[in-house]
Amino acid sequence: MKKTLLTAALAAATLAGTQVASAARDYITVVGSSTVYPFATVVAERFGKGTNFKTPNVESTGSGGGLKLFCNGVGQEHPDVTNASRRIKASEVDRCAKNGVNDIVEVLIGYDGIVLANSKKSEQITLSRRDIFLALAKDVPNPNGKEELVPNPYKTWKDVNPALPATKIEVLGPPPTSGTRDAFAELALEGGCKSFGWIKDIKSQSKKAKKAGDKKLSKSLKKKYKGICHTVREDGPYVEAGENDNLIVQKLNANPAALGVFGFSFLDQNADKVQGSLIDGQEPTFDSIADGSYPVSRPLYFYVKKAHIGVTPGITEYLAEFTSEKAFGPEGYLTEKGMIPLGDAKRAQVAADVKGLKNLSL
Amino acid sequence: METSTLFAFLVILMAAAFFLGRGRSLAQAQAAGGVRRLNSLPSYYGMLTLLWCGIPSLIVLSLWLVFDSVIIQQLLIQSLPADIRALAPAELGLKVNTIENMALTGMTAGAAPYELEAINTLNQLRGTSNTALTGLALLIAALAGFWGWSRIQPDLKARNQVEGAFKFILLACSCLAILTTVGIVLSVLFESIRFFSMIPITDFVFGTAWSPQMAIREDQVGGSGAFGAIPLFVGTLLISFIAMIVAVPAGLMSAIYLSEYANSKVRGVVKPALEILAGIPTVVYGFFAALTVAPMIRDTGTSMGLSVSSESALAAGLVMGIMIIPFVSSLSDDVINAVPQSLRDGSLGLGSTQSETIRQVVIPAALPGIVGGILLAVSRAIGETMIVVMAASLAANLTANPLEPVTTVTVQIVTLLVGDQEFDSPKTLAAFALGLMLFIVTLGLNFIALHVVKKYREQYD
Amino acid sequence: MSSNTQSSNKPSTIDLVNKNLAKRYRAEKRFRGYGIASILFGLICLVFLFTDIIGKGYTAFVQNYIQLEVQLDADTLGISDINDPNQVAMANYMGVIKRSLRERFPEVTGRRDKRKLYALVSNGSGFDLRKQMEADPEILGTTQSLWFMADDDVDTYIKSYSKDGKVFTGRTDEMQQGWIASLIEADQVESRFNTVFFQNGDSREPEQAGIRGAIMGSLFTMLVTLLLSFPIGVAAAVYLEEYAPKNKWTDLIEVNINNLAAVPSIIFGLLGVAIFIGMFGMPRSLPLVGGMVLTLMTLPTIIISSRAAIKAVPPSIREAALGIGASKMQMILHHVLPLAMPGMLTGAIIGLAQALGETAPLLMIGMVAFIVDVPGGVTDPATVLPVQIFLWSDSPERAFVERTSAAIMVLLGFLIVMNALAVWLRKRLERRW
Repeated sequence: MKKTLLTAALAAATLAGTQVASAARDYITVVGSSTVYPFATVVAERFGKGTNFKTPNVESTGSGGGLKLFCNGVGQEHPDVTNASRRIKASEVDRCAKNGVNDIVEVLIGYDGIVLANSKKSEQITLSRRDIFLALAKDVPNPNGKEELVPNPYKTWKDVNPALPATKIEVLGPPPTSGTRDAFAELALEGGCKSFGWIKDIKSQSKKAKKAGDKKLSKSLKKKYKGICHTVREDGPYVEAGENDNLIVQKLNANPAALGVFGFSFLDQNADKVQGSLIDGQEPTFDSIADGSYPVSRPLYFYVKKAHIGVTPGITEYLAEFTSEKAFGPEGYLTEKGMIPLGDAKRAQVAADVKGLKNLSL
Repeated sequence: METSTLFAFLVILMAAAFFLGRGRSLAQAQAAGGVRRLNSLPSYYGMLTLLWCGIPSLIVLSLWLVFDSVIIQQLLIQSLPADIRALAPAELGLKVNTIENMALTGMTAGAAPYELEAINTLNQLRGTSNTALTGLALLIAALAGFWGWSRIQPDLKARNQVEGAFKFILLACSCLAILTTVGIVLSVLFESIRFFSMIPITDFVFGTAWSPQMAIREDQVGGSGAFGAIPLFVGTLLISFIAMIVAVPAGLMSAIYLSEYANSKVRGVVKPALEILAGIPTVVYGFFAALTVAPMIRDTGTSMGLSVSSESALAAGLVMGIMIIPFVSSLSDDVINAVPQSLRDGSLGLGSTQSETIRQVVIPAALPGIVGGILLAVSRAIGETMIVVMAASLAANLTANPLEPVTTVTVQIVTLLVGDQEFDSPKTLAAFALGLMLFIVTLGLNFIALHVVKKYREQYD
Repeated sequence: MSSNTQSSNKPSTIDLVNKNLAKRYRAEKRFRGYGIASILFGLICLVFLFTDIIGKGYTAFVQNYIQLEVQLDADTLGISDINDPNQVAMANYMGVIKRSLRERFPEVTGRRDKRKLYALVSNGSGFDLRKQMEADPEILGTTQSLWFMADDDVDTYIKSYSKDGKVFTGRTDEMQQGWIASLIEADQVESRFNTVFFQNGDSREPEQAGIRGAIMGSLFTMLVTLLLSFPIGVAAAVYLEEYAPKNKWTDLIEVNINNLAAVPSIIFGLLGVAIFIGMFGMPRSLPLVGGMVLTLMTLPTIIISSRAAIKAVPPSIREAALGIGASKMQMILHHVLPLAMPGMLTGAIIGLAQALGETAPLLMIGMVAFIVDVPGGVTDPATVLPVQIFLWSDSPERAFVERTSAAIMVLLGFLIVMNALAVWLRKRLERRW
């Protein structure tokens, strides 16, 4: 009888396997940014409970990974929605178009602040973006004032700025695979980098070259500029701590001398353990991020494949749920999870665009 | 008919075939003068009929199920209007999906006329396919079963045939292990080859700088983009070495105590308790290492005036060692138990104490097995993932100082494959190359371990 | 006399032995001490880990509820026809709950303050009320005194309040703390056993989150693993022990199996992605695919332990069976396998326990998705317990910390039960030859 059982089990497995492969999908699949993930999952859950549709399946793959899966084509094996913690790039739109994904609806849902925080056991720190750049960039302008780059010589915060404490520079942050790191480099490092006139000049030269039609020069200058401003040092003070923000918070708690880089929602939930550092005189709070005075915040988006609307059941309803006042409004449930809402006018416009399924235009 | 119902029917048919075949053999035996005239036992004739009835129709069934959705889809596409068929494959696929979804959910509101028609066609096709499958499967089962049944004669060597089939199935099952290995090698080999076509293999194997932070989009700025795997292997070895320093003495001594000193009651309680350590999910150990052990080591180090990183190799290694203790102890326990009692008795009889017996007689006799077990534990430590993902660093320092942060192969595989990925970039492909290296290294270790165990095992029995 | 002088010059053997004896006994004691110390070290680690987990997680098994007088009038709910399921589903349940909160604390006026007030009860209370309404439509129009789950922040606050002197305020502010104190005084807060934790699937609201989905996912994954790996593993073991000729091919199979037993589990994940998802085009996140990957992973363990069990059956039994005319298959099926079964079952249970705690390969095949619906079969997207732990550990909400630990406790419970079963089986059914 053993043999029969065996064959039966094998056959059953094959049967089940093949049936899965051919069944049509009746739930929405969402991929993308790990920053938007906590918000998308709340909406997905409420959508699943509040309607007769199945709960969407949300996977966190990172912004770039999500857009890649999203742009792979139309059809049930490709996701319907992707979340991103940055805007879609022209290169990605091209890639989408090449694979037949032509009509995309873009939805801006709100903002997320990136904070530099340390344990409450030590003093709150006040930094400028210039300090952050000097402390964390790979190459920095020569401290003697010459307009040249030297490998970052700074070991303690005091070296960077005499007003700061004499503790070792130790910043726990996300690895380069993370969108948070990209945004941090773009907003904080570049912000400080630009404060050096001669570096900024490189960028304006690049623009000039572009105007003059010298694309090659423009590109190489731009590359040089970004190379200076976005490259994070690799000699120790910046510790890549993985994608798990909770772990960073707990490591900060265990190591009061270190600073950590993570999303505002984690600061919000762990306010008893960690405190946000002031950047350019602004403390990261709900209000300062919402009104734009806190400099390090980034927009959150999601993108929907228009070709899937009407094919995968429930996409329009999911869109409506996400852009309803009770979700992304200033009093909505997403703000409770730490998302910073858009202004009233902007929100109304987004809601209207979504209703009309306006196509993405860069 | 639903596939599951059909399957149930087939099972019933097969059962029927068994009894029919058995019955026929019994009847023939009676005619020929008693059961003893039969070549095999009646149940073997039944089994043979069952196999004839079941196997051909199951093969047809599974082939049909694999291919029918493709064929139906093609037929459906053929039935669509010409202008739809002319669409690009992706869009056409989407249209087909729409139709399939509508057919599935019955939500046909807002469907274009051609879609409604297609839904009808689809339902019809599916119905036909289903009926045809049901008919065919049952027919084949009946025919093949009948043929097998009609072959039954007293001198048919049913037993030999059934046993042949039985042996074949067993062989197939044991070959699955080889298929798995082939699958593993194939799944990492091609990507690795692509990686090595971009990064020279010598740079990878002998390079001393690891910094896969190259830009994966045009507008992103990464680091230097170096792919030298030596720091990773040194880091992996360092952490594994620390783990072994913890696990080998503790595991070995526990095994010795449990097998030589402890009475059966203590053994019965302590052994399973220690084995629980091996069963704790590695995620839990990861937290323990990152949040409890690492800060503890850091604070102790700082108070002694040492500079200790909060992601030190020591923390990850220690916790990994704790996890491996039961692994080492149960492997050594088996080996020590296999040393015959006569050796101990001889040594004790000459007046040596128990510890002398153990050190000078039991351990040397069991040494090959212990070494083999330790090598297996090392390959386990090298491949451990979750602890190091949470507790070890991502910084690839080439150092032998356990107080500094190091990274490991598995950490890099996870980091490279989770998050932003680009499948043409060396960055992602590097993960597969690392996987291949990891596989080769553990393969080598296991091979040596097994060889050692086999070659030097003393044969006492 | 000469012999006498000799013996006094040269100590006798017995003296030598006696002289060393104390030292040797000390060494003996030391050695024993090392053994005990290393066992104690292991046990202490175990106890330490357990107290750590239990200390963090036991609070997740209770949940605080808040009692409110809810007036379920049809107008506010927006139900005009109780028999219309659509209306009942879409009614404004949160509205009536909010009103009852306002009635309980009439002094609250400002918009901001009201929002804080509403945050006392769980965000999902509306859905809970809907369930009650659907179960018993008679309550429409009546005023009921109902218990609602406290919000996760409030719940954490109340728990820390009773746990030790150190109060964790978290995100609650003084005003909310005042309300909570007033509710506690009026006996309108009750802590109950957290049944939701065992009944619900995953959720982004900690108080609504449960492990049922993950447990079912684990169950289905294990079912697939067991159904595939046990028969195949036993068959392979039988072949290798009883049939396999001594040749290169058999050697190759053996080396392969032993090697696979020690291949890092993450590599099986890579295999799953490439073969099952890439080549066969199976969807991501299914217990079926997870089970198949884990089958490949546990198969070597099961084969090795089954072989050991078959080997332990003495040859005399085989010879006796063959001697009275049994065929090889009869000998195996009727004699060897039944005798080896306890050992094989033990191996299978241990292999399954190992698979149950496995995370890394499942991360690769997409079982890390956020899945709310409790899976109903092997082809519904699902996640498994260890992955759920991994996911919760990365959630910002504080209340997930205790739930993470609680989920670890549940997982450990399963593992301990499975290991205990294996030990019991081994003891109960094992035969000594």
